[in-house]
Amino acid sequence: MIWPVAFAELRPIFDWLYDMVSSTGLPEPWLSVVIYTGLGAMMFGVLAVLALYLVWWERKISAHIQQRFGPMRHGWHGWYQTIMDAIKLLQKEHVDVATRDKFVFFWAPVMCFVAAFLAYVTIPFGEGLIVADLNIGVLYIMAVTTFTIISLLMAGWGSNNKYALLGGMRSAAQVVSYEVPMVASILVVVVFAGSLSMVDIVRAQDGMFYNWFIFRLPFGPIAFLTYIVAATAEANRTPFDIPEAEQELVAGFNIEYSGMKFAMFFLAEFVNMFTVSAIAVTLFLGGWNGVFLPSWFWFLLKTFAVVLLLMLFRWTYPRLRVDQLMEFAWKFLVPLTFANLILGAWMKYAGWYW
Amino acid sequence: MVEAADTGVVFWLLAAAVLISGFLVVSLKNIFHCAIFLVICLTAVAGIFLLLDAEFLAAAQVLIYVGAVSILMIFAIMLTSRLAAHNVIQTNRHAIIAFFISMVFGLGAIALIAGTHIWRLAIETLPADNIATIGKLLMTEFMLPFEVVSVLLLAAMIGAIVLARKEGS
Amino acid sequence: MEAQLPPYSIKMMLPELFLFVWALVVITFDLLTRRKSGSAVGYLAMLGLVICGGILSITGYGRGFGMMFINDPVAVFFKVIFLGAAFMAIGSSFGITNRKIVNHRGEYFGLILLSTVGMMFLASSQELLSLYIGLELTTIPLFVLAGFFKDDRKSVESGIKYMIMGALSSALLLYGISFLYGLSGTTDIVQMKINLAVTQLANEGDIGVILILATVTILAGIGFKLALPPFHQWAPDVYEGSPTPIAAFLSVGSKAAGIVAFVKIMMLGLEAFYDPVMKPNDWGILVGVLAIAAMVWGNVAAVRQSNIKRMLAFSSIAQAGYIMIGMVAMNQYGLAAVGFYTFVYMFANMGAFAIVTVVEDQTGSCKISSYAGLSRTSPFLSAALAVFLLSLAGIPPLAGFFAKYYVFAAAIAMAGSSNGHTWLYWLVGVGLLTTVFALYYYANVIKTAYFAREASPYRLRPLRPALLVIAIGLLGVLIFGVVPETIVDFARDLPYYIAH
Repeated sequence: MIWPVAFAELRPIFDWLYDMVSSTGLPEPWLSVVIYTGLGAMMFGVLAVLALYLVWWERKISAHIQQRFGPMRHGWHGWYQTIMDAIKLLQKEHVDVATRDKFVFFWAPVMCFVAAFLAYVTIPFGEGLIVADLNIGVLYIMAVTTFTIISLLMAGWGSNNKYALLGGMRSAAQVVSYEVPMVASILVVVVFAGSLSMVDIVRAQDGMFYNWFIFRLPFGPIAFLTYIVAATAEANRTPFDIPEAEQELVAGFNIEYSGMKFAMFFLAEFVNMFTVSAIAVTLFLGGWNGVFLPSWFWFLLKTFAVVLLLMLFRWTYPRLRVDQLMEFAWKFLVPLTFANLILGAWMKYAGWYW
Repeated sequence: MVEAADTGVVFWLLAAAVLISGFLVVSLKNIFHCAIFLVICLTAVAGIFLLLDAEFLAAAQVLIYVGAVSILMIFAIMLTSRLAAHNVIQTNRHAIIAFFISMVFGLGAIALIAGTHIWRLAIETLPADNIATIGKLLMTEFMLPFEVVSVLLLAAMIGAIVLARKEGS
Repeated sequence: MEAQLPPYSIKMMLPELFLFVWALVVITFDLLTRRKSGSAVGYLAMLGLVICGGILSITGYGRGFGMMFINDPVAVFFKVIFLGAAFMAIGSSFGITNRKIVNHRGEYFGLILLSTVGMMFLASSQELLSLYIGLELTTIPLFVLAGFFKDDRKSVESGIKYMIMGALSSALLLYGISFLYGLSGTTDIVQMKINLAVTQLANEGDIGVILILATVTILAGIGFKLALPPFHQWAPDVYEGSPTPIAAFLSVGSKAAGIVAFVKIMMLGLEAFYDPVMKPNDWGILVGVLAIAAMVWGNVAAVRQSNIKRMLAFSSIAQAGYIMIGMVAMNQYGLAAVGFYTFVYMFANMGAFAIVTVVEDQTGSCKISSYAGLSRTSPFLSAALAVFLLSLAGIPPLAGFFAKYYVFAAAIAMAGSSNGHTWLYWLVGVGLLTTVFALYYYANVIKTAYFAREASPYRLRPLRPALLVIAIGLLGVLIFGVVPETIVDFARDLPYYIAH
């Protein structure tokens, strides 16, 4: 199917919007403020809707894996079920525990929500479709995701509930541990691209699909696999979802949250899943590179493919135990990713690649 | 992308955030709140680094201090029930003396810094791609300290494990 | 910008590299023998230090890595001191590792070796960054070692205290270093000196007041490491709580590392700002005040101590004061005197601590009163203790006397050289007075050991390595007391190298 040329690039639209805003004669600092706020709001809206649909999608997938139908009532195959859910959650009464730590309890979901969106500043959705191409791109994403961990710890502490506390601590321990192999597998790509900027990394994979970093044998596939495993753990998803292991912790760090605060955690989780998939696509799967179709379409297509992979993980694998999880990270993934990094750096140095 | 005139406002906001949260870190009674304000303080410092065009430093600041140090501190607080449950008094009987000494040092330092205008680095421009420059320097001119740091980390790690390990296992 | 690797030579760094690898070997050996290695692991560590000394003697002088690793006579001289201190600390540790530290012998010795590696890097560096990292590598293992007895509250206290103080002092040092960097635009100490001079000339002799802040914070940072009052409060508690050989290593090795850092930053980098002409940036008088405070407070407080480790802690504070006299005597004799003083101090102090360790192993106490009557049951050790303490006090013909003599002589020579330096006479005067004062508390221990009514209930049986350490200490104190020239001749060249 051939798409209209107008959709090939969204850039003109942005240029047009920029021209429109700047033609109002706003002085410079405020112009930037308006434009960046607008971009942020747009990003936020898109991602919030996206997260809602990921929820719906996940429910459908889980249902079909378990030979059920899942949501069927609202619209075709329940397509606006999650929107209704969100509206319901918005209206719900906030039930707060009396013994909570008010300050921490209140700010934890906010921080989690904001941190989940911060990474999108530097994710290239398509050629030219990026809020800011920071020259520390990858590092920036690694840095802002750490706020998620702190928010989970805050939620665990603020709830004044032992399940929440345990959930928060488990999640922090897990994320801190898996961050090491994650960064080490990302670094292989950075070494090869010679830049931390997300756009430069995508540019380094220009051309046909065999230029993607995942096909750079032999380290590419290894880095991709270790990244996906670590990313699954970062997003607190099964088989690494001990922070919210229902059988042990009821619901984990978010047990005491209700209403919209709970929704914030819930949506942030799905946004995070989309984030790690988007990073995987950018780093390993050629980002927006593709033939015939517009760049943003390729990017979204690949990202949803990775998201689908993560969802299949969740509904087909059993959960790991805490000690198994830690041993896997420190005794297997860390040595493997570092060996892989050394191999990749050496190959780059020796010039053994195409 | 932001004009110099606005960086002034942003700087003062960040500086205020650093100072206020820093003060709260050392004065609050709830030690978990202290840790949270420490996170805010360190993040605001990263913001100041950003204003100075030191993006790498800012990211490293967040990654290391917020992502690792603060989280481990919060961890330690959560694991220490005695710290977690009660209010902690952060001062002892030397508080007043300590306050005066720090005030003398702090005000003296400010006065001395304000009284000096000969800074050699202020006139030099930052290289455009400062991350690449930092990387190259670390791998060439500063390679020896860079490698010795790994020895240092190894020593610290061995020491930490020795101290943290349960005896008789 | 194209950065290039500075000229480097692995050969120059061989002693450090070897010792680093050896530390790992020691740790691994302990693990491989399933923690049942007994004394073997300690002997292994001592062997490594001896081999490292051998390698050091054949590496010769030259550049290892740009300005960050230079093997000059100053570096080699202090490296010998570090190796000696580590050797003696390990030698006197066997009593502890046989009974108290049964699970982590390898780590204990390995951390001592790693700390020594840090000191050696520090001694070789002429660049602020590598100097700072060397200093950290020196102190971080020592934090752990100070708190190595995990069940002993005092040891844990000392470990934490030392860590907090060490962190604070490092922060102060870094703060000062950052100003030096801001003023000079370089971290290379020699280049820094040139740049500062250029800046000063370009501004008609005015370099601003910021250098005061840099000097004060750097002095405070190093002052913590050297335990100079008012930055000394940690020392007695830490020495008291930490394992005795570690206290000894702290008082000699760590102190010598601080001295090297002082030499590199102040005597080399800020040499031009020593002169009183440079007011208000003159650092000489500041160090002089610190030295006086150290001599007076160290010696006065030592008198009141009933615990010999605390007494030796205050004594080492006072000794640092004497060493500082040599530092401010910035003439051709000054640094030579400092080198010789540190060298001799190593033998006397390590020897004294070795005997304290032996006594502590046997009696379980560090009280001076537990030394009562030791002369009758263990005459050799009592005599050795007396020799070490008298050497610390500076009694001829022991080496400590010559050490103090050279330091005072250097200061007097400097004081007579120009009108601006006459305050050095005062310094020497205080030094002489407090030396007399110091004799009192050193003699007090000897008196307790020799003139008690009853014989001590204990008969000291030092282990062989401890005996070796005591013998080395005795030989050092006696030989260099009779023929100090051997070392002095070597040390005499040090000022030449630091100036070039």
